[in-house]
Amino acid sequence: MSDEQRPGPVAPVDPSRRTEIDKQRVPMAARPYRLLALVKQDAVVRVQKEPDDTVMTWPHLLTIEFFSAVAMSILLLLLGLFINAPLEELANPNVTPAVAKAPWYFLGLQELLAYFHPTVAGALSPIGILVGSALIPYLDRRNIHSTRPSDRKLEVSLFSILWALGLVVTFIGIFFRGPGYSFILPWVNGFFFSL
Amino acid sequence: MSLIGRVDQAIRRSSAWRSIFRNAYPNDERSRAYAVMNNVFLHLHPVRVRQHAVKFAYTFCLGGLSFFLFLVLTVTGVYLMFFYAPSATQAYSDILKIQTLVPFGQITRNIHRWGAHLMVFFVFLHMMRVFYHGAYKPPREFNWVVGVLLLFLTIMLSFTGYLLPWDQIAYWAITIGSNMAGYAPLFNTPSKLLLLGGLEVGQNTLLRFYVLHVMVLPLLAAVFLAVHFWRIRKDGGISGPL
Repeated sequence: MSDEQRPGPVAPVDPSRRTEIDKQRVPMAARPYRLLALVKQDAVVRVQKEPDDTVMTWPHLLTIEFFSAVAMSILLLLLGLFINAPLEELANPNVTPAVAKAPWYFLGLQELLAYFHPTVAGALSPIGILVGSALIPYLDRRNIHSTRPSDRKLEVSLFSILWALGLVVTFIGIFFRGPGYSFILPWVNGFFFSL
Repeated sequence: MSLIGRVDQAIRRSSAWRSIFRNAYPNDERSRAYAVMNNVFLHLHPVRVRQHAVKFAYTFCLGGLSFFLFLVLTVTGVYLMFFYAPSATQAYSDILKIQTLVPFGQITRNIHRWGAHLMVFFVFLHMMRVFYHGAYKPPREFNWVVGVLLLFLTIMLSFTGYLLPWDQIAYWAITIGSNMAGYAPLFNTPSKLLLLGGLEVGQNTLLRFYVLHVMVLPLLAAVFLAVHFWRIRKDGGISGPL
Protein backbone atom coordinates (compact mmCIF):
# COMPACT_ATOMS: atom_id res chain seq x y z
CA MET A 1 0.00 0.00 0.00
CA SER A 2 1.42 3.39 -0.90
CA ASP A 3 1.50 6.26 1.52
CA GLU A 4 -1.46 8.05 -0.03
CA GLN A 5 -3.76 5.05 0.29
CA ARG A 6 -3.01 4.43 3.96
CA PRO A 7 -5.83 5.92 6.07
CA GLY A 8 -4.71 9.04 7.88
CA PRO A 9 -5.89 10.22 11.31
CA VAL A 10 -9.69 10.31 11.59
CA ALA A 11 -11.10 13.82 11.42
CA PRO A 12 -13.46 14.74 14.24
CA VAL A 13 -17.01 13.95 13.25
CA ASP A 14 -19.69 16.60 13.28
CA PRO A 15 -21.66 15.82 16.52
CA SER A 16 -24.98 16.07 14.70
CA ARG A 17 -23.88 13.29 12.32
CA ARG A 18 -22.51 10.88 14.93
CA THR A 19 -23.66 7.38 14.24
CA GLU A 20 -23.82 4.41 16.54
CA ILE A 21 -20.41 3.32 15.36
CA ASP A 22 -18.88 6.71 16.13
CA LYS A 23 -20.29 6.58 19.64
CA GLN A 24 -18.72 3.20 20.27
CA ARG A 25 -15.25 4.34 19.09
CA VAL A 26 -12.45 3.84 21.58
CA PRO A 27 -10.97 7.25 22.50
CA MET A 28 -7.45 7.76 21.19
CA ALA A 29 -6.02 8.09 24.69
CA ALA A 30 -7.40 4.70 25.65
CA ARG A 31 -6.05 2.85 22.60
CA PRO A 32 -3.75 0.10 23.77
CA TYR A 33 -0.53 0.59 21.70
CA ARG A 34 2.16 -1.96 21.47
CA LEU A 35 5.62 -1.58 20.02
CA LEU A 36 5.83 -3.97 17.11
CA ALA A 37 9.04 -2.95 15.38
CA LEU A 38 11.46 -0.13 14.83
CA VAL A 39 11.70 0.97 11.25
CA LYS A 40 14.59 2.95 9.86
CA GLN A 41 13.74 6.49 8.92
CA ASP A 42 14.61 6.23 5.22
CA ALA A 43 12.55 3.07 4.85
CA VAL A 44 9.40 4.93 5.87
CA VAL A 45 9.99 8.27 4.21
CA ARG A 46 9.71 7.19 0.62
CA VAL A 47 10.95 9.50 -2.08
CA GLN A 48 7.64 10.45 -3.65
CA LYS A 49 9.04 12.06 -6.75
CA GLU A 50 12.20 11.01 -8.53
CA PRO A 51 14.73 13.79 -8.97
CA ASP A 52 13.69 15.69 -12.07
CA ASP A 53 16.15 14.98 -14.87
CA THR A 54 14.10 16.65 -17.59
CA VAL A 55 14.41 20.00 -19.30
CA MET A 56 11.93 22.06 -21.31
CA THR A 57 11.64 21.08 -24.98
CA TRP A 58 11.35 24.79 -25.76
CA PRO A 59 14.09 26.05 -25.81
CA HIS A 60 16.57 23.23 -25.05
CA LEU A 61 15.67 20.61 -27.67
CA LEU A 62 14.27 22.97 -30.29
CA THR A 63 17.45 25.06 -30.30
CA ILE A 64 19.58 22.03 -31.07
CA GLU A 65 17.18 20.87 -33.78
CA PHE A 66 17.09 24.32 -35.30
CA PHE A 67 20.86 24.69 -35.47
CA SER A 68 21.34 21.16 -36.83
CA ALA A 69 18.86 21.94 -39.58
CA VAL A 70 20.65 25.22 -40.31
CA ALA A 71 24.03 23.47 -40.46
CA MET A 72 22.61 20.82 -42.81
CA SER A 73 21.05 23.51 -45.01
CA ILE A 74 24.38 25.32 -45.28
CA LEU A 75 26.15 22.06 -46.16
CA LEU A 76 23.54 21.30 -48.85
CA LEU A 77 23.75 24.81 -50.28
CA LEU A 78 27.55 24.65 -50.46
CA LEU A 79 27.45 21.20 -52.07
CA GLY A 80 24.78 22.38 -54.50
CA LEU A 81 26.66 25.54 -55.38
CA PHE A 82 30.08 24.03 -55.93
CA ILE A 83 29.62 20.41 -57.03
CA ASN A 84 27.38 19.60 -59.95
CA ALA A 85 25.42 16.36 -60.00
CA PRO A 86 26.95 14.00 -62.57
CA LEU A 87 25.35 13.64 -65.96
CA GLU A 88 26.81 11.57 -68.78
CA GLU A 89 25.64 10.92 -72.33
CA LEU A 90 22.13 9.78 -73.12
CA ALA A 91 21.39 6.23 -72.02
CA ASN A 92 22.35 3.71 -74.70
CA PRO A 93 21.52 0.03 -74.15
CA ASN A 94 23.93 -0.95 -76.93
CA VAL A 95 27.02 0.66 -75.41
CA THR A 96 28.18 -0.82 -72.15
CA PRO A 97 30.41 1.77 -70.46
CA ALA A 98 33.91 0.66 -69.45
CA VAL A 99 33.03 1.11 -65.80
CA ALA A 100 29.53 -0.04 -64.88
CA LYS A 101 28.85 0.12 -61.17
CA ALA A 102 25.73 -0.01 -59.04
CA PRO A 103 24.94 2.90 -56.67
CA TRP A 104 27.43 3.03 -53.76
CA TYR A 105 25.12 1.40 -51.20
CA PHE A 106 24.86 -1.66 -53.46
CA LEU A 107 28.57 -1.82 -54.29
CA GLY A 108 29.24 -4.15 -51.37
CA LEU A 109 26.81 -6.61 -52.91
CA GLN A 110 28.32 -6.12 -56.35
CA GLU A 111 31.72 -6.86 -54.82
CA LEU A 112 30.33 -10.07 -53.29
CA LEU A 113 29.33 -11.10 -56.82
CA ALA A 114 33.03 -11.38 -57.58
CA TYR A 115 33.46 -14.07 -54.93
CA PHE A 116 30.17 -15.93 -54.57
CA HIS A 117 27.47 -17.52 -56.66
CA PRO A 118 24.98 -14.85 -57.84
CA THR A 119 22.21 -16.41 -55.76
CA VAL A 120 24.28 -15.92 -52.61
CA ALA A 121 25.56 -12.44 -53.42
CA GLY A 122 22.56 -10.99 -55.21
CA ALA A 123 19.62 -12.58 -53.47
CA LEU A 124 20.47 -14.28 -50.19
CA SER A 125 22.78 -11.64 -48.72
CA PRO A 126 20.49 -8.62 -49.19
CA ILE A 127 17.49 -10.56 -47.90
CA GLY A 128 19.61 -11.89 -45.03
CA ILE A 129 20.88 -8.41 -44.14
CA LEU A 130 17.39 -6.88 -44.12
CA VAL A 131 15.60 -9.71 -42.31
CA GLY A 132 18.55 -10.22 -39.97
CA SER A 133 18.61 -6.52 -39.01
CA ALA A 134 14.87 -6.48 -38.44
CA LEU A 135 15.19 -9.52 -36.14
CA ILE A 136 17.99 -8.08 -33.97
CA PRO A 137 15.70 -7.05 -31.08
CA TYR A 138 14.10 -10.49 -31.02
CA LEU A 139 17.38 -12.40 -31.16
CA ASP A 140 19.27 -10.29 -28.64
CA ARG A 141 17.58 -11.52 -25.43
CA ARG A 142 20.69 -11.64 -23.24
CA ASN A 143 20.73 -9.00 -20.46
CA ILE A 144 17.51 -7.91 -22.01
CA HIS A 145 17.11 -4.56 -20.29
CA SER A 146 20.74 -3.61 -20.06
CA THR A 147 22.12 -1.07 -22.49
CA ARG A 148 25.53 -0.89 -20.85
CA PRO A 149 28.31 -1.69 -23.34
CA SER A 150 29.99 -3.94 -20.75
CA ASP A 151 26.89 -6.17 -20.72
CA ARG A 152 26.71 -6.29 -24.49
CA LYS A 153 30.26 -7.12 -25.53
CA LEU A 154 29.21 -10.02 -27.78
CA GLU A 155 26.37 -8.14 -29.48
CA VAL A 156 28.43 -5.01 -30.03
CA SER A 157 31.40 -6.98 -31.41
CA LEU A 158 29.24 -9.06 -33.78
CA PHE A 159 27.44 -6.00 -35.10
CA SER A 160 30.70 -4.07 -35.49
CA ILE A 161 32.41 -6.93 -37.31
CA LEU A 162 29.51 -7.29 -39.76
CA TRP A 163 29.48 -3.52 -40.35
CA ALA A 164 33.24 -3.50 -40.86
CA LEU A 165 32.96 -6.35 -43.38
CA GLY A 166 30.23 -4.46 -45.23
CA LEU A 167 32.35 -1.30 -45.23
CA VAL A 168 35.42 -3.17 -46.51
CA VAL A 169 33.63 -4.78 -49.47
CA THR A 170 31.91 -1.47 -50.25
CA PHE A 171 35.24 0.38 -50.18
CA ILE A 172 36.83 -2.21 -52.45
CA GLY A 173 33.86 -1.88 -54.82
CA ILE A 174 34.11 1.92 -54.81
CA PHE A 175 37.87 2.49 -55.01
CA PHE A 176 39.57 -0.73 -56.10
CA ARG A 177 37.48 -1.70 -59.12
CA GLY A 178 37.99 -0.23 -62.55
CA PRO A 179 37.18 -0.97 -66.20
CA GLY A 180 35.44 -4.30 -66.62
CA TYR A 181 35.25 -4.51 -62.83
CA SER A 182 38.92 -5.48 -62.74
CA PHE A 183 41.00 -4.94 -59.61
CA ILE A 184 42.86 -1.63 -59.68
CA LEU A 185 44.79 0.59 -57.29
CA PRO A 186 43.20 4.04 -57.05
CA TRP A 187 46.53 5.80 -56.45
CA VAL A 188 47.92 4.22 -59.65
CA ASN A 189 44.96 3.97 -62.01
CA GLY A 190 42.70 6.72 -60.61
CA PHE A 191 39.06 6.74 -59.56
CA PHE A 192 36.33 4.93 -61.44
CA PHE A 193 33.30 5.97 -59.53
CA SER A 194 30.41 8.39 -59.83
CA LEU A 195 27.86 9.33 -57.22
CA MET B 1 7.81 54.33 -28.32
CA SER B 2 9.46 54.27 -31.69
CA LEU B 3 7.48 54.00 -34.88
CA ILE B 4 8.64 50.41 -35.47
CA GLY B 5 7.64 49.48 -31.93
CA ARG B 6 4.18 50.96 -32.43
CA VAL B 7 3.70 49.16 -35.75
CA ASP B 8 4.90 45.96 -34.10
CA GLN B 9 2.37 46.42 -31.29
CA ALA B 10 -0.41 47.19 -33.75
CA ILE B 11 0.34 44.03 -35.74
CA ARG B 12 0.44 41.86 -32.64
CA ARG B 13 -2.80 43.30 -31.33
CA SER B 14 -4.64 42.94 -34.62
CA SER B 15 -7.34 40.31 -34.70
CA ALA B 16 -5.73 38.69 -37.76
CA TRP B 17 -2.44 38.14 -35.90
CA ARG B 18 -4.20 36.85 -32.81
CA SER B 19 -6.27 34.46 -34.92
CA ILE B 20 -3.01 32.82 -36.06
CA PHE B 21 -0.95 32.98 -32.88
CA ARG B 22 -3.10 32.30 -29.82
CA ASN B 23 -0.36 33.12 -27.32
CA ALA B 24 2.29 35.75 -26.97
CA TYR B 25 5.88 34.72 -27.57
CA PRO B 26 6.55 32.08 -24.90
CA ASN B 27 8.94 33.33 -22.23
CA ASP B 28 8.15 31.24 -19.16
CA GLU B 29 7.78 27.52 -18.54
CA ARG B 30 4.02 27.55 -18.68
CA SER B 31 3.74 29.37 -21.99
CA ARG B 32 6.59 27.30 -23.45
CA ALA B 33 4.77 24.13 -22.51
CA TYR B 34 1.65 25.47 -24.25
CA ALA B 35 3.66 26.47 -27.30
CA VAL B 36 4.94 22.92 -27.76
CA MET B 37 1.61 21.29 -26.94
CA ASN B 38 -0.56 23.52 -29.10
CA ASN B 39 1.55 23.61 -32.24
CA VAL B 40 0.80 20.87 -34.75
CA PHE B 41 4.46 20.56 -35.77
CA LEU B 42 6.02 20.89 -32.33
CA HIS B 43 3.59 18.57 -30.56
CA LEU B 44 5.53 15.61 -31.96
CA HIS B 45 7.77 16.45 -29.02
CA PRO B 46 6.85 16.03 -25.39
CA VAL B 47 6.77 19.24 -23.36
CA ARG B 48 9.79 18.12 -21.37
CA VAL B 49 12.61 15.83 -22.50
CA ARG B 50 15.20 14.01 -20.51
CA GLN B 51 18.35 15.97 -19.98
CA HIS B 52 20.76 13.44 -21.49
CA ALA B 53 18.68 13.39 -24.67
CA VAL B 54 19.32 17.04 -25.50
CA LYS B 55 23.06 16.56 -25.47
CA PHE B 56 24.08 16.74 -29.10
CA ALA B 57 26.59 13.92 -28.69
CA TYR B 58 23.87 11.49 -27.58
CA THR B 59 21.95 11.33 -30.87
CA PHE B 60 24.01 13.63 -33.11
CA CYS B 61 20.54 14.55 -34.40
CA LEU B 62 20.94 11.72 -36.93
CA GLY B 63 17.27 10.70 -37.02
CA GLY B 64 16.10 14.30 -37.06
CA LEU B 65 18.53 15.18 -39.84
CA SER B 66 17.40 12.16 -41.89
CA PHE B 67 13.85 13.49 -41.58
CA PHE B 68 15.01 17.00 -42.43
CA LEU B 69 16.70 15.64 -45.57
CA PHE B 70 13.46 13.84 -46.43
CA LEU B 71 11.67 17.20 -46.28
CA VAL B 72 14.36 18.95 -48.34
CA LEU B 73 14.16 16.16 -50.93
CA THR B 74 10.38 16.49 -51.06
CA VAL B 75 10.56 20.22 -51.73
CA THR B 76 13.38 20.07 -54.30
CA GLY B 77 11.83 16.96 -55.88
CA VAL B 78 8.46 18.64 -56.39
CA TYR B 79 10.21 21.60 -58.05
CA LEU B 80 12.07 19.24 -60.41
CA MET B 81 8.81 17.43 -61.24
CA PHE B 82 7.48 20.58 -62.93
CA PHE B 83 10.16 20.30 -65.61
CA TYR B 84 10.55 16.56 -66.08
CA ALA B 85 8.66 13.98 -68.12
CA PRO B 86 9.38 10.27 -67.48
CA SER B 87 9.78 9.40 -71.13
CA ALA B 88 12.80 7.66 -72.62
CA THR B 89 12.86 10.18 -75.47
CA GLN B 90 12.39 13.30 -73.35
CA ALA B 91 13.83 12.64 -69.87
CA TYR B 92 17.47 13.30 -70.72
CA SER B 93 16.78 16.53 -72.60
CA ASP B 94 14.56 17.64 -69.69
CA ILE B 95 17.51 17.20 -67.36
CA LEU B 96 19.65 19.29 -69.71
CA LYS B 97 16.93 21.97 -69.73
CA ILE B 98 16.70 21.87 -65.94
CA GLN B 99 20.46 22.48 -65.81
CA THR B 100 20.55 25.29 -68.32
CA LEU B 101 17.15 26.95 -68.76
CA VAL B 102 15.16 26.45 -65.56
CA PRO B 103 15.72 29.14 -62.90
CA PHE B 104 17.72 27.59 -60.05
CA GLY B 105 17.40 24.28 -61.90
CA GLN B 106 21.03 23.24 -61.61
CA ILE B 107 21.33 23.98 -57.90
CA THR B 108 17.97 22.33 -57.19
CA ARG B 109 19.08 19.21 -58.99
CA ASN B 110 22.45 19.29 -57.19
CA ILE B 111 20.82 19.64 -53.77
CA HIS B 112 18.36 16.86 -54.61
CA ARG B 113 21.20 14.56 -55.64
CA TRP B 114 23.57 15.25 -52.74
CA GLY B 115 20.70 15.34 -50.27
CA ALA B 116 19.62 11.88 -51.43
CA HIS B 117 23.09 10.40 -50.91
CA LEU B 118 23.34 12.13 -47.54
CA MET B 119 19.95 10.78 -46.49
CA VAL B 120 20.98 7.16 -47.18
CA PHE B 121 24.21 7.84 -45.31
CA PHE B 122 22.47 9.46 -42.32
CA VAL B 123 19.89 6.69 -42.05
CA PHE B 124 22.77 4.17 -41.91
CA LEU B 125 24.48 6.26 -39.21
CA HIS B 126 21.23 6.62 -37.28
CA MET B 127 20.82 2.86 -37.31
CA MET B 128 24.33 2.42 -35.91
CA ARG B 129 23.73 5.02 -33.18
CA VAL B 130 20.53 3.24 -32.13
CA PHE B 131 22.27 -0.13 -32.05
CA TYR B 132 25.21 1.03 -29.97
CA HIS B 133 22.83 2.61 -27.44
CA GLY B 134 20.86 -0.64 -27.24
CA ALA B 135 17.85 1.53 -27.98
CA TYR B 136 16.05 -1.33 -29.76
CA LYS B 137 15.62 -3.21 -26.49
CA PRO B 138 12.16 -3.66 -24.96
CA PRO B 139 9.80 -1.89 -25.25
CA ARG B 140 11.26 -0.45 -28.46
CA GLU B 141 11.68 -3.68 -30.47
CA PHE B 142 9.03 -2.96 -33.03
CA ASN B 143 10.15 0.60 -33.62
CA TRP B 144 13.52 -0.84 -34.67
CA VAL B 145 11.67 -3.02 -37.21
CA VAL B 146 9.86 0.06 -38.51
CA GLY B 147 13.28 1.71 -38.74
CA VAL B 148 14.70 -1.15 -40.82
CA LEU B 149 11.70 -0.80 -43.11
CA LEU B 150 12.41 2.94 -43.41
CA LEU B 151 16.04 2.16 -44.28
CA PHE B 152 14.79 -0.16 -47.04
CA LEU B 153 12.37 2.52 -48.30
CA THR B 154 15.16 5.13 -48.25
CA ILE B 155 17.43 2.90 -50.34
CA MET B 156 14.63 2.13 -52.77
CA LEU B 157 13.81 5.84 -53.05
CA SER B 158 17.42 6.53 -53.90
CA PHE B 159 17.63 3.59 -56.30
CA THR B 160 14.45 4.50 -58.23
CA GLY B 161 15.58 8.13 -58.43
CA TYR B 162 18.95 7.04 -59.80
CA LEU B 163 17.36 5.99 -63.12
CA LEU B 164 15.43 9.18 -63.81
CA PRO B 165 18.18 11.29 -65.50
CA TRP B 166 18.27 8.53 -68.15
CA ASP B 167 21.98 8.90 -68.85
CA GLN B 168 24.63 6.20 -69.06
CA ILE B 169 25.36 6.21 -65.30
CA ALA B 170 21.68 5.85 -64.51
CA TYR B 171 20.94 3.22 -67.12
CA TRP B 172 23.83 0.91 -66.28
CA ALA B 173 23.67 1.33 -62.52
CA ILE B 174 20.02 0.27 -62.57
CA THR B 175 20.78 -2.55 -65.01
CA ILE B 176 23.45 -3.93 -62.69
CA GLY B 177 21.41 -3.33 -59.55
CA SER B 178 18.32 -5.03 -60.89
CA ASN B 179 20.38 -7.87 -62.39
CA MET B 180 21.65 -8.59 -58.88
CA ALA B 181 18.11 -8.68 -57.48
CA GLY B 182 17.17 -10.89 -60.40
CA TYR B 183 19.54 -13.64 -59.30
CA ALA B 184 16.96 -14.99 -56.89
CA PRO B 185 16.08 -18.41 -58.33
CA LEU B 186 12.49 -18.75 -59.54
CA PHE B 187 11.93 -15.03 -59.03
CA ASN B 188 14.35 -13.86 -61.69
CA THR B 189 12.04 -13.43 -64.66
CA PRO B 190 8.79 -12.64 -62.77
CA SER B 191 10.46 -10.05 -60.54
CA LYS B 192 12.11 -8.40 -63.51
CA LEU B 193 8.85 -8.30 -65.41
CA LEU B 194 7.18 -6.74 -62.37
CA LEU B 195 9.90 -4.22 -61.50
CA LEU B 196 11.32 -3.36 -64.91
CA GLY B 197 8.19 -3.98 -66.99
CA GLY B 198 10.30 -6.07 -69.34
CA LEU B 199 13.44 -8.16 -69.44
CA GLU B 200 15.68 -5.13 -69.54
CA VAL B 201 15.59 -1.50 -68.50
CA GLY B 202 13.42 0.52 -70.89
CA GLN B 203 10.52 2.96 -71.17
CA ASN B 204 8.32 0.82 -68.89
CA THR B 205 11.05 0.79 -66.26
CA LEU B 206 11.42 4.55 -66.40
CA LEU B 207 7.69 5.08 -65.88
CA ARG B 208 7.49 2.50 -63.10
CA PHE B 209 10.51 3.88 -61.26
CA TYR B 210 9.14 7.41 -61.67
CA VAL B 211 5.77 6.52 -60.16
CA LEU B 212 7.46 4.62 -57.35
CA HIS B 213 9.91 7.49 -56.78
CA VAL B 214 7.50 10.42 -56.70
CA MET B 215 4.37 8.81 -55.31
CA VAL B 216 4.35 5.29 -53.89
CA LEU B 217 7.60 5.23 -51.90
CA PRO B 218 7.36 8.78 -50.45
CA LEU B 219 3.80 8.10 -49.27
CA LEU B 220 4.82 4.79 -47.73
CA ALA B 221 7.82 6.45 -46.11
CA ALA B 222 5.61 9.25 -44.73
CA VAL B 223 3.24 6.72 -43.19
CA PHE B 224 6.03 4.74 -41.57
CA LEU B 225 7.77 7.95 -40.44
CA ALA B 226 4.57 8.89 -38.64
CA VAL B 227 4.47 5.46 -36.99
CA HIS B 228 8.17 5.72 -36.14
CA PHE B 229 7.82 9.13 -34.41
CA TRP B 230 4.56 8.19 -32.69
CA ARG B 231 6.08 5.07 -31.25
CA ILE B 232 9.09 6.93 -29.85
CA ARG B 233 6.63 8.82 -27.63
CA LYS B 234 4.49 5.78 -26.87
CA ASP B 235 7.50 3.63 -25.98
CA GLY B 236 8.58 6.08 -23.31
CA GLY B 237 10.50 8.72 -25.21
CA ILE B 238 14.12 8.56 -26.19
CA SER B 239 16.15 5.67 -24.78
CA GLY B 240 18.11 6.09 -21.59
CA PRO B 241 21.78 7.02 -21.26
CA LEU B 242 24.35 4.22 -21.30
